[in-house]
Amino acid sequence: MINGTEKILVCCGTGCIANGALGVADAIQAELEARGLAGSVEVSAQVVRTGCSGECEQGPIVRFMPRDLMYYRVKERDAAAIVDSLEGEPVSRLLFKKDGQTYEHMNDNPYYALQHKVVLKDVGIIDPLSIDDYIERGGYEGLKKALAMTPDEIITEVEKSGLRGKGGAGFPTGRKWRTAAGYDVFPKYIVCNGDEGDPGAFMDGSTMEGSPHAVIEGMIIGALAIGAEEGVLYIRDEYALARDHIQHAIDDAYEAGILGDSIMGSGHKLDLSIVRGGGAFVCGESTALMASIEGRVGEPRAKYIRSVQRGLFDHPTVLNNVESLASIPTILRDGGEEYAKLGTEGSKGTKVFAMVGKVKHTGLVEVPMGTTLRTLIYDIGGGLIDDRPFKAIQTGGPSGGCIPESLLDLPVDFDTLTEYGAMMGSGGMIVMDDRSCMVEVARYYVDFLCEESCGKCTPCREGLRQMRAILTDICEGRGKPGDVELLERIGRTMQDASLCALGRTAPNPVMTTIKFFRNEYDAHIEGKECPAGVCEKLTQFAIDADACTGCGMCSRACPADAISGERKEAHVIDPAKCIACGSCREVCRFNAVLTERRPA
Amino acid sequence: MSEKLTITIDGVECTCEKGEYIYDVARRNNIAIPVLCRSDAFADHRACCRICIVEVETRGRRKVVTSCVYPIDQECAVYTKSEKILEERAVILSLLAHRAPDAQRIADMNQAWGREGFERLVTIDNEKCILCGLCVQACDSLGTGAISTVLRGTEKKVDTPYDKPSEFCVGCLSCANVCPTGAIEYEQTATTRTIWNREFSLLFCPDCGAPMGTPESVRHAVGPEGELPTVCDACRKKRLANEMMQTYRYV
Amino acid sequence: MTEVDQASRIAEIIEACPADQRFALAALQDMQHAFNYIPEEGLSALAEHLGCSQAHLYSMATFYKALSLTPKGEHIIKICNGTACHLRGAMNLATELKRDLGIDPGETTEDGTFSVELVNCLGSCALAPVMVVDGTYHNKLRVEQIPGIIESYASQGSEEVADHD
Repeated sequence: MINGTEKILVCCGTGCIANGALGVADAIQAELEARGLAGSVEVSAQVVRTGCSGECEQGPIVRFMPRDLMYYRVKERDAAAIVDSLEGEPVSRLLFKKDGQTYEHMNDNPYYALQHKVVLKDVGIIDPLSIDDYIERGGYEGLKKALAMTPDEIITEVEKSGLRGKGGAGFPTGRKWRTAAGYDVFPKYIVCNGDEGDPGAFMDGSTMEGSPHAVIEGMIIGALAIGAEEGVLYIRDEYALARDHIQHAIDDAYEAGILGDSIMGSGHKLDLSIVRGGGAFVCGESTALMASIEGRVGEPRAKYIRSVQRGLFDHPTVLNNVESLASIPTILRDGGEEYAKLGTEGSKGTKVFAMVGKVKHTGLVEVPMGTTLRTLIYDIGGGLIDDRPFKAIQTGGPSGGCIPESLLDLPVDFDTLTEYGAMMGSGGMIVMDDRSCMVEVARYYVDFLCEESCGKCTPCREGLRQMRAILTDICEGRGKPGDVELLERIGRTMQDASLCALGRTAPNPVMTTIKFFRNEYDAHIEGKECPAGVCEKLTQFAIDADACTGCGMCSRACPADAISGERKEAHVIDPAKCIACGSCREVCRFNAVLTERRPA
Repeated sequence: MSEKLTITIDGVECTCEKGEYIYDVARRNNIAIPVLCRSDAFADHRACCRICIVEVETRGRRKVVTSCVYPIDQECAVYTKSEKILEERAVILSLLAHRAPDAQRIADMNQAWGREGFERLVTIDNEKCILCGLCVQACDSLGTGAISTVLRGTEKKVDTPYDKPSEFCVGCLSCANVCPTGAIEYEQTATTRTIWNREFSLLFCPDCGAPMGTPESVRHAVGPEGELPTVCDACRKKRLANEMMQTYRYV
Repeated sequence: MTEVDQASRIAEIIEACPADQRFALAALQDMQHAFNYIPEEGLSALAEHLGCSQAHLYSMATFYKALSLTPKGEHIIKICNGTACHLRGAMNLATELKRDLGIDPGETTEDGTFSVELVNCLGSCALAPVMVVDGTYHNKLRVEQIPGIIESYASQGSEEVADHD
C-alpha cells in the first residue's frame, strides 16, 4: 500500500543525463500525475532527481525507497511499468542480472556489496537541490558539533581521523589545518579544489553534483578550525551541473543561516563563492589554482614557502580537495576514531575511484583504503569486457602509472603504489586489455601534458617536447636503440628538477610503462611491430575467413569503406583503403579481425 | 636581527641569515652556481630555468632544490656539483640547447657543464629564446606591460598582444637588455629604433648629441604629468654644476 | 550581432565586474559566453577597467582553454579525448569529422557553421567515446553515426535535434 514514504530516485548525474535521465524523470512524473498520485494529500510518491549513483554505463538508473529496488537502463516508455511496481511486483526486465541471477536490491548487487560509502553516502539518495534532504540524513550535524568545539578540538578530531588529502598528494589534512591555524595573519582563506582535470576521473564532479552540502559543510568546519572568513570553490569549467548544484546549495545555506554573518547563530562568519575554472589541467596544482583565482595565468610558483603560510593573496590559505572536504562532516559527526577504523595503517578511511576503460561495470566506487586492485577490477568491476586478457591498470592519470598484472594484489593506498613508481593519484583508474599499446598510452599522456603544462619551467616544457618526439618516432617505426635510455634520463631529471608537482610526476606514465612493459618498447624499436595492434604505421588488419560469419558489422563500422563482402560470406579488407583505425576489430564479435605487422 | 646559521656548501663552511637563498650565500662565498632566469634587478625570482639546482641534505635526507629561491631555514649541507646535480644540470642544458640552438650563451654553458648523449633530440630552428621570462618581468616592473607570455605548454612564447605593434611599448629596450641569450632583436638606425615590430624615433641631446632614448620612454620615465628633460642626464648634471658655480661666484 | 550591440554588451559585462583583477577570469568568461570569443575591443576595455595591462589579459586569454580569441562556429562539436574515450577510439571520431567537414580539431568551417574541438575528459568516461554537440551528449558513438548527426545540425540550424543514442 502506498503510504506516503515512497520515493522514486532518478539518477541525474552527468552520465545519466547524457543517457536521457531527465526525460525519464519527466515521464515518471507525468505518469504519477496522470494517476493522481503526484502531490495528492495521501500519497507522496515523489521523483527525486539525484546525483550520480556510480554505474554510469548502466544508466539511467532509477531507485525506489524504501523498498530499495534498483532499475537499470530505464527508458521513458518504462514509466508506466515503474509506477505500477510501486505496489506490485518489480519490473523484472529492468533489474540487474548477472550470471543468470537477478538482483532486486542495491546492496545485493556485487558492484555495491564491497563498497563502503562515506563521501558518496548521500550521493544518489538525496535530492542535491534540497537542503532538507541533506539535513534529514544527518547533514550539518558535524557542523553543529564543531560549533561547540574550539578550533584546536576540531583539528584534533581531524588529526585523529588520519584523513589525508585525497586529491593525490596525501598530505595529512589535520596537520595542514593546524599549521594554518597557527598563523596570526588575517584574513585567511579556505579554498576547495574542484578543478578535477585528470582525463579519466570524475569523482569530484559527481560528489559536487550529488552532495553539494557535504562539500560546503566541510568547508565551513575547516574555516572555523583555521579562522577563515572567506572561502572559494574553484570548479572546473566543464562541470556546469556541479557548479549549478553548488551555487544552489550555497544560496540555500545562506537562507538557512548556515553561511553568512553568523553561522547557525554562533557569531562566526563565513562567505563562500564560486570561481569558474579557466580550463587548464595545471590549475589542479595548488599554487597555479591560487594564481588563477587571483586573476592571473595558472603558473605555479616555487613552494618552499607553503600556501598555509602565504597562499591566496599572500595570506594563509588552506586548500583541500572536494573529496577530503566531503569526508569532514562524517568525521566530526561520528568522531575521528570511527573514521580511522577504516583503511590501512598509513592511509585511513575510504577512497572514491572512477573506474573506466575496458572493464564491465564502469563508474564510481568507494572502498576502504587498502582494497586491492584485483578486488576493484574483478569483484567490483566484474572483470574485463568480453573477458579479454588484462594488460594494465592506469592509476592517477597523467601523474600516475601503468600497473601490470603481477602487482594486482597490492593494496591501494597513498604509499604502496608510489613505492612501485605509480601513484594512487586523485582516483582515476583505467583498465586496459591486450588491445591497448603501452607505448601509445605513454605517448597519449605525454601529448596531453605537452598541451597542459603551463610551460614555465625547462624540464617540464622541454622534457615533454622531446619525450613526445621520441615516443612518436617509436610509435611510427622510427625508434632507435638507446631511445628508451634517453627517455629515462630525461624522465629522471624532470622528476627531480621540475618546478611543480605536474612536472615532477609528468614522466610517470613513461617511466612505469618502460619499467613494466619494456618488451613492448623493444618490439616497436627493434621489431618495428606493435604487439597490441594499435600503432597505425606498424599494423595492418586482415579478416580470418574461417572465423568471419559475414555479419557485416565491420564493414558498417569502417570509416574508410575498406571492407567489402557479401552477406553471410567472409569479408575482405582492402589494404590500400585501410587506415588501420581498428574500428572493425572493436565491433567484431567473432574475433575474426586479425592484426599483423605492417611490412615496411 | 635575524637568526644566524652555519651551513656547508660543497664542504665549505658558510655563515648566513635564516631565510637567505642558497644562491646568494654561495655567491658571497665565491662558489659558482650557473643561473639564467635570475637577475639582480628583481627581488622575486621566477625559478624556471632550473639550471641552478643543487642538492640539500638535512638530517641525512637529500633533495634537489632550486638554489635561487630556496630559503635556508636550518643547518644543512649543500652540494652544487654532486653526480646527480651534474647529470641533471647537463640534461636541462641540453634541453635548452635544443630549444634555442642559436643562443651562444647556452652553447657556452654546455661547453662548461654539458654531457654527451643528446644528439637524438629535436631542435627548433633559428631560436634563441629560452622562455626565462625576464623580459616580461622587466616590462611589468616598469609598468609598461607591453609584452607577456602567450599560450602555454610546449607552444608558449613571448609576444605583444595579437602579435601587433603595442601601443604601450615605449621602446626602452629593457626587455632586450635583461635577456640572457640575446633573443630579443631590435634595429637601430641613426634616427630610429625598431623593436617588437614598432618603429620609434630617437631623441638626441641638444648639448652633446648623445641619444636620449625614444620620446615615449622619456615620457614614461617622468610620468604623464612630469617635466620632460631637455638635455641628457650627463649634460643636465653639467648644466647644474655650471649654475652652482655661477651662484657661488656671486656669493 | 551588430557592432553597436557588441559594444553595449561589452559595456554591460564590464559594468557588472568589480574593478579588481581577481575578477578578470570571470569577466573574460562572460565575454566568451556572450560572443563565443573574446573581441579585441572587449579585452582592451576590460584591461582599462581593471587597471591591468592588455598583455596580461591577452596572456590569460591564450592560456585558458575555455577562452578563445577567434570566433567559433554556430555549432560547437566537442570530441572528448579523455583516456577512456581515447582508448575507445576518440581519434577515429576526429578523423571522421575531418572527412565530413574538412576541418581538424581547433578549426571552424569556412561557412562558420561548425567548430570542432578536441577536449579533455568531460566526465562521462563510462559512456565512451563521447561527442558533445552544443551541449547534447552523443554516447558510445560509432563512426558511422557521425554523418547523420552532422546532417541533422546542418539542416536544422541551431534547433533541438533528435537524440542519436
